[in-house]
Amino acid sequence: MEILLLFVMVIGLMLIGVPIAISLGFSSIFFLLLFSDTSMASVAQTLFEAFEGHATLLAIPFFILASSFMSTGGVAQRIIRFSIALVGHLRGGLAIAGVLACMIFAALSGSSPATVVAIGTIVIAAMRQVGYTKEFAAGVIANAGTLGILIPPSIVMVVYAAAVEVSVGRMFLAGVIPGLMAGFMLMIGIYIMARIKNMPKGEFAGWGEIFASFRAAVWGLLLIVIIMVGIYGIPGFTGAIFTPTEAAAVASVYAFIAACFIYRDVGPLAGGQSLLKKPHALITAFWHPDTMRTLRDAGKLIITLMFVIANALLLKHVITDEQIPQQITETMLSYGLGPVAFLIVVNVILLIGGQFMEPSGLLVIVAPLVFPIAIELGIDPIHLGIIMVVNMEIGMITPPVGLNLFVTAGVANMSMMGVVRAALPFLGIMFIFLILVTYIPAISTTLPNAVMGPEIITK
Amino acid sequence: MAAHANPTSRMDHLEETLIALILGIMTLLTFANVVARYVFNANIFYALELTVFLFAWLVLLGSSYAVKKTLHLGVDAIVNMVPDTTKRVLALIVVAVCLAYSLLLLKGAWDYWAPYANLYPTKGRWFPTGFEEVRGQGWYETQDIPVPFFLRWLEPVFNEGFEYEKLPKVVPYIVLPLSALLLVVRFVQAGLRVWRGEQEMLIVSHEAEDEVAEAAAKLKD
Repeated sequence: MEILLLFVMVIGLMLIGVPIAISLGFSSIFFLLLFSDTSMASVAQTLFEAFEGHATLLAIPFFILASSFMSTGGVAQRIIRFSIALVGHLRGGLAIAGVLACMIFAALSGSSPATVVAIGTIVIAAMRQVGYTKEFAAGVIANAGTLGILIPPSIVMVVYAAAVEVSVGRMFLAGVIPGLMAGFMLMIGIYIMARIKNMPKGEFAGWGEIFASFRAAVWGLLLIVIIMVGIYGIPGFTGAIFTPTEAAAVASVYAFIAACFIYRDVGPLAGGQSLLKKPHALITAFWHPDTMRTLRDAGKLIITLMFVIANALLLKHVITDEQIPQQITETMLSYGLGPVAFLIVVNVILLIGGQFMEPSGLLVIVAPLVFPIAIELGIDPIHLGIIMVVNMEIGMITPPVGLNLFVTAGVANMSMMGVVRAALPFLGIMFIFLILVTYIPAISTTLPNAVMGPEIITK
Repeated sequence: MAAHANPTSRMDHLEETLIALILGIMTLLTFANVVARYVFNANIFYALELTVFLFAWLVLLGSSYAVKKTLHLGVDAIVNMVPDTTKRVLALIVVAVCLAYSLLLLKGAWDYWAPYANLYPTKGRWFPTGFEEVRGQGWYETQDIPVPFFLRWLEPVFNEGFEYEKLPKVVPYIVLPLSALLLVVRFVQAGLRVWRGEQEMLIVSHEAEDEVAEAAAKLKD
């Protein structure tokens, strides 16, 4: 019963406007001091353990930093140009190109709002210019932007991997096929709508433009190659080169080099000055105001996100200490809950929770609660992870408080309700996708099992 | 939404530079370790531990900066619906909760860190009721990190003059009481701002509010 008090307290505090991190942390402390014999000293230790004991989480700051460097300057612009060159000539082509650009950018960044801001800002304006309605444009971007957390690398996946101790590499691979699938489902949906409503189509600019735009975008796209080849190696040629954390750090350094020295959108060579004329830029780039600003902005994001996660880990500590997962597992199983019903329950919990909470923090709390039941029911942990991520995606675009709805409303200068209505038809597609992913485990597990071998589940 | 104008002071600059610096060092250290492994066939054996400590420093110290700048994430759906007076009362309750959290954390952080500094932790469960005399643990060391030359003065102070082979734990863990103290200070300041009506709430609804505002400004018709 006490545990109910704990959750009521967390939610209550959150709703009156206490920062999420402190709602989680304060409730946990309160509960520990009241009902267990834990001392404050060990609470402080647990908070520090969040970092010391979870080396996996170390990948998060580096992925955020890489994505920040990639968001400076015109990388998004180049990716959009490349996408338009590829699919812009179809009916509804610019919208389809928007989805493709979101998919590519999602592979550079680990977050959905970042994807919406980077791609949405440009694509929504462009779509309006050629005659799409603002609503349609916003709906497309709000939905496609959620792919940011499904297509690897993904911060939410790193958090899941840390919370239930599965391999980050596996989670990333598991996201590839669902990510592509969701993207293509959205594209097909748009194409059908475009045919019916006779939406504008662009001109095919020819293979020359495809090649030229690819050459412009390639330095950005190379980041994906570095991360994927780094974590998995090239099959038959080399094994894994980096750990996911190292891959993220290398990606950050690469993104810095790409932004400052290759694209020269920012930094000491901004505006395309030649390095030969300004060789000292090699050194000054490190403390150039643009570099410092990117580091600082990424730092802010890391701080707020990780403070939530560290406090959520405090709560996780409480619930595992109190053997809550075991109790829930027993109760659930005693009611004769099968895998199908269980997955529906998980879907519902996450859809509701995803409304109110930052996805990573929610995962840290919910994952340890449902994980033991899933193992008991024979559900693959990686599959469960992908289900959770897809649920988070939908939570982001479901009213009243979906994160992506807010961001899109801001970017497109629309009212919240406007974006909600605009996103609705695509939300249907995402729901179909969720059902597919939930009940066909092969979509998630085939690729990681093929590349990394079947998983050994130890209870 | 709750952004309040804060003059960019010297303190802001210091904190922001520190955030950027720690993150930069973390990245370069991890990168250097990869380079060392593949190019020089060597290993910076303390890289991982040091990076993890820096990570903790970044987030714990940064959390108080985030209070100052109102960057912490929260749910503003309900708060935005209530009338202004209720809003203000709620905000003051929020401040009280945050202060309670940071004060408890300060006690815990002190109790945890003090033995490593040969100091006494406090007695009492909720409130410090005095000091408990325990054996100092100043000789506890981290696993891999060597002692930099400028920290050799720690030996006479915390280790009775005996040489440390590795960095003593007193150094990395000091961030706990330090950041808890900063949190207390920042929440008191935020509370005063709420009291004076200069600030409405202590949260933002999502991580990208600044970027969205910028983007929206760019797209304005």
